[in-house]
Amino acid sequence: MSSSTTFIGAVEIGTSKTTVLVGEHNGRELAIIGRGECQSRGVIKGSVVDYKAASECAHAALEQAERDAGERIDLVFLAQTGAHLEGFYNEASVSVKAADNMIDADDIRTVCDLARSKELPAGRMVVHNIRRPFRVDGRLVPGTPEHLVGQRLEVGYWTVHGQEQRLADNIHVIRGFNLEVRELVLASLASGHMITSPEERQHGVLAIDLGAGTTDYALYRDGAAHTTGVVSVGGTHLTNDLSIGLRLTENQAEKLKLRFGRANVVTKDKAQKVWLDGNFAIGDRQFSQQVIEQITAARAVELLEVVKKKLGNAFTPETCASGVVLTGGTAKLGGLAETAARVFGVPAHLGETPTWVSENLRDPGYHTSLGLLYYGVAAQAEKNTGVRRRGGFLTGMKRLFANA
Amino acid sequence: MSQSLVHAPQARSWRDIPQPVKPRVMSRGGRWRLAASLARVLAFVAVVIVVAWGAWEVIAALRANPSNMPAAARTVPVKNFVLKTNADGVLDAAWLRSALGLPKGATLMELDLQQLRARLLADGQVSVASLTRNFPDTLEVRIAERAPVARLQAQFGDGAERTLLVARDGAVFPGHGYDTARIETLPWLAGFKLARAGGRFAPIEGVNVAADLLAHAQLDTPHLYAAWQVVSLARLASDREIEVQTKTGTTVVFGAEGDFAVQLAKLDFQLELLAKATAPVAKINLALGREVPVSFVAPLAAASNTTASAAKPAKTAPAPFISLFPNSQSQTKREL
Repeated sequence: MSSSTTFIGAVEIGTSKTTVLVGEHNGRELAIIGRGECQSRGVIKGSVVDYKAASECAHAALEQAERDAGERIDLVFLAQTGAHLEGFYNEASVSVKAADNMIDADDIRTVCDLARSKELPAGRMVVHNIRRPFRVDGRLVPGTPEHLVGQRLEVGYWTVHGQEQRLADNIHVIRGFNLEVRELVLASLASGHMITSPEERQHGVLAIDLGAGTTDYALYRDGAAHTTGVVSVGGTHLTNDLSIGLRLTENQAEKLKLRFGRANVVTKDKAQKVWLDGNFAIGDRQFSQQVIEQITAARAVELLEVVKKKLGNAFTPETCASGVVLTGGTAKLGGLAETAARVFGVPAHLGETPTWVSENLRDPGYHTSLGLLYYGVAAQAEKNTGVRRRGGFLTGMKRLFANA
Repeated sequence: MSQSLVHAPQARSWRDIPQPVKPRVMSRGGRWRLAASLARVLAFVAVVIVVAWGAWEVIAALRANPSNMPAAARTVPVKNFVLKTNADGVLDAAWLRSALGLPKGATLMELDLQQLRARLLADGQVSVASLTRNFPDTLEVRIAERAPVARLQAQFGDGAERTLLVARDGAVFPGHGYDTARIETLPWLAGFKLARAGGRFAPIEGVNVAADLLAHAQLDTPHLYAAWQVVSLARLASDREIEVQTKTGTTVVFGAEGDFAVQLAKLDFQLELLAKATAPVAKINLALGREVPVSFVAPLAAASNTTASAAKPAKTAPAPFISLFPNSQSQTKREL
C-alpha cells in the first residue's frame, strides 16, 4: 500500500437506509473496496431527529464498510439532503481593468468574490457555491476567461445554503465515529454526477433522485449545475397513500408498492386482482391492481409536477435537450420514465450505472454514494490544482495529531 | 474604485462548523478509533525517542571506544585545531599546538583526550578545558583562562629567576601571551612560601583576600593602585592584615576583615591631609577601625633620604625574592 493512498468513506444518511462505500484513492485512480449498509433510524426526510439512533445506525454501517474493505477510513464525504436546503442565484459583473482589455486573474477573482458575496440570513450556512459559466461581453465562455479580451466580465453563482443546526447534526454523527468530514456534497449533485454524462450536462439535463423521504433534483446546463433543489416528498408518501387508501399497515403497503405500484396506470381491467401476500394464509387479501396503480401514479405525477413547479422558468424543454434522468430507490417504480416524459415534455429514462461499476453496486440506491466518491474526489482535485504542496511531513504530522 | 480594493463579505460556510466532539458524545467505535489514534501518536513519539536514544548511545559508544570507528575515520590526521577561550583570554592556537605537543600525523582516534586535557590543565593558566573530536580532522578545545591579579619572582633550580603570575584562586602560572605593559602594572606578591605539589606550584593561600583589595583599589582609587608595588600576605594568617608597600616607601596596612572600599577611602583622605606634611610617611595603619595611626620617618633618616634621593635618580623598590630551592642556593631572602 502506498503511503499516499487515502481511504475515503462516502456516507449517505438517508431516510430509509444509511449507505457507506469505501473508496481507495491513490491520487490518480479510485477503486471501491468496501460497502456497508444499515436501515436508518432517527432520520426523517433526510434530517437527523434522533442523534443516538442515527449515530448507532451510521456507525454500524461505517464499521461494516471498514470490515468489508479491510482498511480504516481516513476521511468522509457526506451527502446532504433535506427540505432545509435552499438555493438562490446571484451574479456580478466587473469592467476589465487592463488598458488593453485583456482579462487577468485579478478580474476573475474580483467578479467571483462579488458574485459570492451575498449575505445569508442568521443561522444559514453555505453548502455549495456552484459557478455558472463566465460571460465576456455577453459571450458564453465555457472555461476560464483569463487572457481573453473584452470589456465586461460576468459570472453567476447558484448558492445552496442550509440550516446550521441540521448541517452540524449530520457532521457530528460522523464525528462521533472520530472521522473527519472533508466534503459535504448535495445528494442531487452526487447522484446527478453519476447518472449523467458530460455531454448530457453540456446539452442540458435534469437529474431527479427519488429517495424514500426526499426527492433531490439538479438541472444542468452548459456543462454545469444550474439549479438544484429538494422536495420533501419521496417513496414513503406513496406507501402512506396506499396505506390510507387500502387500509393497510405501512409494511403491507410498502410490499404492495414494491410489487404492483406504478407511476402510470396500465391495467385496464378493474376486476383484475392481486393478492397481498400470495400465500393464501389467514389475513391474505385481494386488491384491485388498477386501484393500486391509480393511487401510486397520482402521487408520482404530483411529485414530478412539484419538481417542475419548483424549477419554474429554469426548466424549458429547449434548454433541457438531453431530457430527464431518474434515479433513487423510488425510481424503480414501473412507468416512472414515461410519466416523467409526459410531465416534463422531454425524453426521460432511468439512470444507468456506468459499466465499470461492479455488479453488486448497480442498484439505483447506490448512485448517490458512488457519485459522492467521484464528485468529492473531483472537487478535492480541483481545489488542489495549482496549489503547491508544502511540508508534506509536517502536514502529515499535523493531521496525525489533529486526528488524535 | 479599484477592483483590487473590493473586499466582498463572505457568507459562513459549512466548513465553519467546528468538527471536534467530546469523547462522551462518541459511540464505542468512535472512542475505540480515538484511542487507536492516540496509541498511534504515542507509538510514533516512542519510536522517535527510541531512535534518538539509540543514536545517542551509538555516538557515546564510538566516543568511548574509538576502535569501533570505521577505519576511514581513523586514518585521517588532525589538521585543524580550534581553540575557544573566554572573552578576556590571551591564549591562541599556536600555544595550543605547543601545549598539546601532538606527534606529527596523529589521527583523532589516536588521541587520548583525558591525557591531553591534563596536559592543558597543568599549565595553571587554564582553569577548565574540554576537548572534542570533530571528524574527520578537527580537534576542538574549549578552555577557561585564569586572570592574573599579582606577580612574583622566583628562582628555579638552574639559578634562573623568572616572573610568575598569581590568579585570584592562588594558582601560580608562567603567563603566556600577556602584554608586558599589562604585567608591569601588577603589584608584586610577598610574604608567603611557594611550594611545589605534584610537579606544579601549590596554590597560595589568602590570595583571594588580596585580590579583593586589589580589585577595589583598581576600580575605586586607580591613582593609589598605580603607586602600589608590593602586597604582602605575611601577616594575613596571624593578624588578618595585608601590608601594601608603595613606590614611595610608605607601608599601608589594611584589615582583611574590614570593608576595603571604606579603608581605601580613608587612605585617600589621609594622603590628602598628609600631602603638606614635612616628613615622609613611613606607615599608615587602616586596620584599627576608626583610628588611623600614621607614623613618619625620623627627620635624620628623612634628611639622608632626601640627600640620597637628590644625589641619584629615584629607584623603585626591588621585587621580593623567593627561593624555591633554599638548600641549593644561598640563603638570600629579601624581606619586605
